[in-house]
Amino acid sequence: MRIFGSNEMAADVIQRGLCVGCGACVDICPYFRSYRGRTAMLFPCTLPKGKCHAFCPRAEVDLDELSLQFFGLSYGDNPLGTYISVKAARGIYPVQNASFQAGGTVSVLAWLALKNRHIEVAVLTDREGLLPVPRLVTDPDDVFSCASSKYTAAPTLSAFNKAVREGYKRIGVVATPCQVIGLAQRRLNPMAESDFMDCASLVIGLFCTWAVDFRSFEPYISGRFAVEGIKKMDIPPPPAQVMEVYLEKGKAELPLNDIRGFIPAGCSYCWDMTAEFSDLSVGALEGRPDMNTLIIRTERGQQLVWQALKHGYLQVEELPVENLEHLAEAAKNKKKRGLMKLKEDGLFNTDDPAEHACLRMMPEVAEKIIT
Amino acid sequence: MSYLTDTTEGVQHLLMGNEAIARGALEAGISVASGYPGTPSSEIIENLARVASPGNLYVEWSTNEKVALEVSAAASFAGLRALCVMKQNGVNVASDFLLHLASSGTRGGIVLVPCDDPGALSSVNEGESRYFARLLEIPLLEPADFQEAKDMVKWAFELSEAIKNVVMVRSVTRLSHASGNVIFGALPVSKRLPAFKYHGSLLDPDCGPIISLLPGMPESKHTPQQGKIREAAQLFEQTPFNAYEGPKNPELLIVACSVASLYGREAIHLLGLESRVGILKVGTTWPLPQQFLKKNLSKTKEVLFIEEVFPFLEEQVKILAAEGVSEIGMKVFYGKHSGHIPSVGELNPDIIIDALSKLLGLKYRAVPKSLAGKVEEATKACVVPPRELSFCPGCPHRASYWSIHNALELDGREGFVCGDIGCYTLGMLACGFNAVKTLHSMGSGTGIASGFGKLKPFGLKQPVLAVCGDSTFFHTAMPALVNAIHHQSPFTLVILDNRGTAMTGFQSHPGLPVNAMGEEMPAIAIDEICRAMGASVEIKDPFDVEETQISLNRLMESQYGVHVLILRQACALSPERKTGKKYEMLVDEAVCVGENCGCNRLCTRIFRCPGLVWNKEKASARIDEVICAGCGVCSDICPAGAITRREKV
Repeated sequence: MRIFGSNEMAADVIQRGLCVGCGACVDICPYFRSYRGRTAMLFPCTLPKGKCHAFCPRAEVDLDELSLQFFGLSYGDNPLGTYISVKAARGIYPVQNASFQAGGTVSVLAWLALKNRHIEVAVLTDREGLLPVPRLVTDPDDVFSCASSKYTAAPTLSAFNKAVREGYKRIGVVATPCQVIGLAQRRLNPMAESDFMDCASLVIGLFCTWAVDFRSFEPYISGRFAVEGIKKMDIPPPPAQVMEVYLEKGKAELPLNDIRGFIPAGCSYCWDMTAEFSDLSVGALEGRPDMNTLIIRTERGQQLVWQALKHGYLQVEELPVENLEHLAEAAKNKKKRGLMKLKEDGLFNTDDPAEHACLRMMPEVAEKIIT
Repeated sequence: MSYLTDTTEGVQHLLMGNEAIARGALEAGISVASGYPGTPSSEIIENLARVASPGNLYVEWSTNEKVALEVSAAASFAGLRALCVMKQNGVNVASDFLLHLASSGTRGGIVLVPCDDPGALSSVNEGESRYFARLLEIPLLEPADFQEAKDMVKWAFELSEAIKNVVMVRSVTRLSHASGNVIFGALPVSKRLPAFKYHGSLLDPDCGPIISLLPGMPESKHTPQQGKIREAAQLFEQTPFNAYEGPKNPELLIVACSVASLYGREAIHLLGLESRVGILKVGTTWPLPQQFLKKNLSKTKEVLFIEEVFPFLEEQVKILAAEGVSEIGMKVFYGKHSGHIPSVGELNPDIIIDALSKLLGLKYRAVPKSLAGKVEEATKACVVPPRELSFCPGCPHRASYWSIHNALELDGREGFVCGDIGCYTLGMLACGFNAVKTLHSMGSGTGIASGFGKLKPFGLKQPVLAVCGDSTFFHTAMPALVNAIHHQSPFTLVILDNRGTAMTGFQSHPGLPVNAMGEEMPAIAIDEICRAMGASVEIKDPFDVEETQISLNRLMESQYGVHVLILRQACALSPERKTGKKYEMLVDEAVCVGENCGCNRLCTRIFRCPGLVWNKEKASARIDEVICAGCGVCSDICPAGAITRREKV
């Protein structure tokens, strides 16, 4: 991994519109802060190398390096990344009346991880109105207040940084793919810190096609509904071309074409739909609005799922083959779009040392994905 | 009792130029003195305020210079003598009223003393007040030393009463702020009784109403006004304030005024040119004493003008010489037009020496090469890094700008601050994190912000902030704020309320419960004024940097209306804070992240309070206990919690 400083961060990522506001650089130093969904550099830092750049999921990410670290093998061309198995899953709710997305698998797993002390704290994303707000949750029952999708890009990793600073050693994180990459970058100990410890004891990744920029999305929504009255939002799988907004009374539908207008530029470079460097990845399941797709990637992810099954908090089924095929196809399409865009903008596998890449991977693998 | 009221005639005191001006006014028997603080003028009113007493002398710091002149004018209209004081650009503020006052004429002697600041040592301009005298047709005197400062001011009152108009006496920084011996004259014992007479005809200068001009009838007032100028010119022919010194027929004649006369004399002395160069000191620079000048110009063929800043005297003398060429013959002129004297910045004897050397073909160098070499040698060893101006340790402005800067960066829409005049002017520099992007006159930040706000319908997306101080709020920000509120121009005015006119030395203003003379006065609440005007108002402590930033961001989000955020915290040099530190500050060297990733010296590299010092050996910040004001803000900005504060008992 090539590591630079804050000024390169500002120039290569923020000014070029690559920043997705994940919060990886926030709260590790006084210079980067997140406000209303955007990351700002308050003052220039003169250091030639910094954690801000090292942790950034949009700066010099080397997929082989990550894949070797977490899975012990080179990065391949499977559009879903490396995994043990893929299931259909549904949480068996330990509490009543919580608002979950689809099967509620993520909330149940995070709740269980906290409850059985697998993790000391969970890094989750709550929302105030439409503003996503990172939270550190230690009481298992508080997990459910953070349930359901936010859709607005969130600086969730800033809460992870805070948790590390506060001395937590076993931290669970529920994160979107970009956040999971940022976290994975951090877990490589890129700054070679002598007292480094990988505190990310559980990483649950969320499927993501794109997010929306809070600052443009908020006025659009608040012009239509009272933001406080929004219970939940959902984007059902195609062919439905709408965003569903669940209100106190009933449900409203917004044309997806409108919503797409609020996608931040940074999302267009994204190549990861299923949060490939997580322990478990969870998303919707086509045709089954009450269930999730669950990708089990690591042993420790597997362990948590077994525990949940054992205590009856989770129900799993085999994933129908056509669902897996659809998922892989969607993931491949996103990967293809992201890589093409990166190539187009000269941000992929740059040879010139003066040029900084957003992403690096073996060219032949990239070729397989693109073609 | 102040030595300024020493009644011993003929006694000699060492006086600062501004004290000499004050003494001159006391010897003239003034009853009223008014002004607005501004370097280098402030000590005149301050000294007079110290010797004020009811029924004997009333002294006030007025809301602004125009009001100050109006207050003094009222005393004149009632037959009393009054002194009005301001810095150079204050005359611009007062000039509208001054135009009309010069036309209406006056009764009791009234003298306007502007103190100009050549070199802009304490100003953001190098404006000249002298042109107002010519523009508005009132006499102008320029004292050259401390004795003259006193004597000329005293005489100016007599002149004012003789011609029934206001007289301007212009000082400059080097006169106002340097000191010299002054021999005192008598202090008057009897005082006049004020009465405003208005029963006479409209044009009766002594007993009629006092009005500037009858519309459409310039001859009603303008003609007599110009008559007064001719009268003054006549009086100037005889005054000892204009004097020639030198050989009968010098090779070169220096025509000088103000402190430049002293520089000229010093240059002549150092070059040993007493037999070759003469110096004509002109104390009455408008209107010129024509006969006196012609007589002296006839002595020579070559003339060098020295004056600060613009060629005011130079151009007038040239007109005079052109008109009188048949009498005095052709002259060759040197000065600002010829490039021998700079028209920017202060003068000094070295500049005059260089000019004289050039004109007379001398080999004299103001700084000999050998000395220049030695200076270079000596300074090589101790490299003093160039330093920018900065806020004092514990200055609330640093904390305010910290929050403003951070709020603007977090907001991310390229918002900016419209600033104006005060210590907070430094907000344009690194000590204010470069937040201020426009800087003009007093109160103009608010007016400019009012204008920017109205550009939103054209597509201006940048949030607009303005800053003004508490004294500036009363001075000229209020009309701009009214304008903004009435026109619903969306912006946020941040009032940096440090409880006094701090930059110029804690002079009182209407927001404080005291006046210039130390008497208790009703304080006018800035927040209540703003609310009554129709702005939303919040008051915060700028030392609470987080709260302040949150408020600023919230206010910047608002698309409508004018918001006022008052950041209230007394100046670190104010009597109330200077006496003791609130906190004792400590740095835990083991916790300090120093130059490492995660901090990189935020406190000493960016925040840069002079009370924080970087200890290179220990790679840690430390507190300079001698200058630390104990405000506690650095402990809030330290990302590692290495800086802690302990309440002082």
